[in-house]
Amino acid sequence: MEKKQYELCLEILRRFHKANILNDFVLIGSWCIFFYKDYFSSVSYINHATLKTRDMDFLISMPDKIKQTIDIPNLLKDLGFVTAFRGTYGYIKLDHPDLIVEFLVPAKGKGTDKPYSVPKLGINAEALRFLDFLSENTIKVKVEDFYLNLPHPANFALQKLIVSRRRSKEDKAIKDRNIALAILKALITKRETNNVRQVFRSMPGKWQTKVIRGLEDAKEKEILSILKK
Amino acid sequence: MVGVIKGVLKEELHNSLRMKKEYEQALKNLPQGCLAVRKIRGHKYYYLVKRIDKKVKYIYKGKISEEEKKKYSEAKELRVKYRKLLSQVKKQIRFLRSSLRGKEAI
Repeated sequence: MEKKQYELCLEILRRFHKANILNDFVLIGSWCIFFYKDYFSSVSYINHATLKTRDMDFLISMPDKIKQTIDIPNLLKDLGFVTAFRGTYGYIKLDHPDLIVEFLVPAKGKGTDKPYSVPKLGINAEALRFLDFLSENTIKVKVEDFYLNLPHPANFALQKLIVSRRRSKEDKAIKDRNIALAILKALITKRETNNVRQVFRSMPGKWQTKVIRGLEDAKEKEILSILKK
Repeated sequence: MVGVIKGVLKEELHNSLRMKKEYEQALKNLPQGCLAVRKIRGHKYYYLVKRIDKKVKYIYKGKISEEEKKKYSEAKELRVKYRKLLSQVKKQIRFLRSSLRGKEAI
C-alpha cells in the first residue's frame, strides 16, 4: 500500500514536471512532511509527523501567472483518477483510492467561500488564509531528476500552529500542533534556531500572538524561550 | 494520539465512501459494450457487443471512424481500471470500518 501510494505520488510529480507546471506549485500538507526527510537527514525524524493522509495538496501561489495550458484532470485520468466536486460550491478534488489531489490558493482580502477558477489547468482551487506565508519562503528538494518546491519547515511549522488554533475538530487541532512541534524541535536539533526566530519575527504581530498561545497551550517552554529571545 | 488516529481513520472512511460512489458513477458514464471486428472480403466491419438483459447482442455498426474506435478502446481500458480501483475502495471501507469498530487499541 505504502509503496504503491509513493509510486503514484511520484508519477503525479513526474507528469507535472513533464508538463512544465511543477514549478508553479508548492507541495504542502502531510506529503510535504514526507519530502522533508532529506532536509532532516542529519537529525532523527519524528514519528507522528510522518502520519500522512491520502491528501496531496498543491499550493498555487500565483495562479494568474501560469503560462502552460494543461488539463490536469485529463493528464491524470489514465492513472484512474476521477474528478469529484466537493461541497456546495464544487471544489474540484481528484480522487484515487491511494491519493486525493487538491489545489489551494492564498485567500486575498476578506476571503471567499467560492472556488478560485484556474482555467488554464482545468481545475478550481480552494482559497485559504495564511497560505501566502508558506509560499514566501520555500526550499527545493531533489526528487529523481527534478526539483520539488516545499515551504521552508519553519514557515510550515509556524503556519500549522496558527491553523491548529482555528480548527473546530479537536483531533485535527492536536494533529496540526504535534506536527508543528515535531518540526520545530527537529529544526532546533539541526541548529536552525536563528532561522526559526527570523521567520517568527517576519510574521504580523497578531500571528505571532497566535503562535505564542499555541506554544503556551502545549507547554513548550524551550521553543517559547527561543522565540522570545 | 489514539484520538488523532481515530480522527484520521474517520476522515479516510468518509473519503472512501465518497470515492465508491464516484467510481460507480464513472463506470455508469462510460459507453456500454465493446467493439468486435469482422473481416469480410478484406473489409473490416464493426459490431458493438453489449449485454441487454441476460442476452449478449451484436449490434451492427459497419465502418466506423478512428475517433469512435479510440473512444471504445479507451472506455474498455478505463472500465478495467475503475473496476479494479472500486474493488480496492471497497476493501478499504471494510478495513476502516473494522478498525473504527475496535476498541481503543488501534
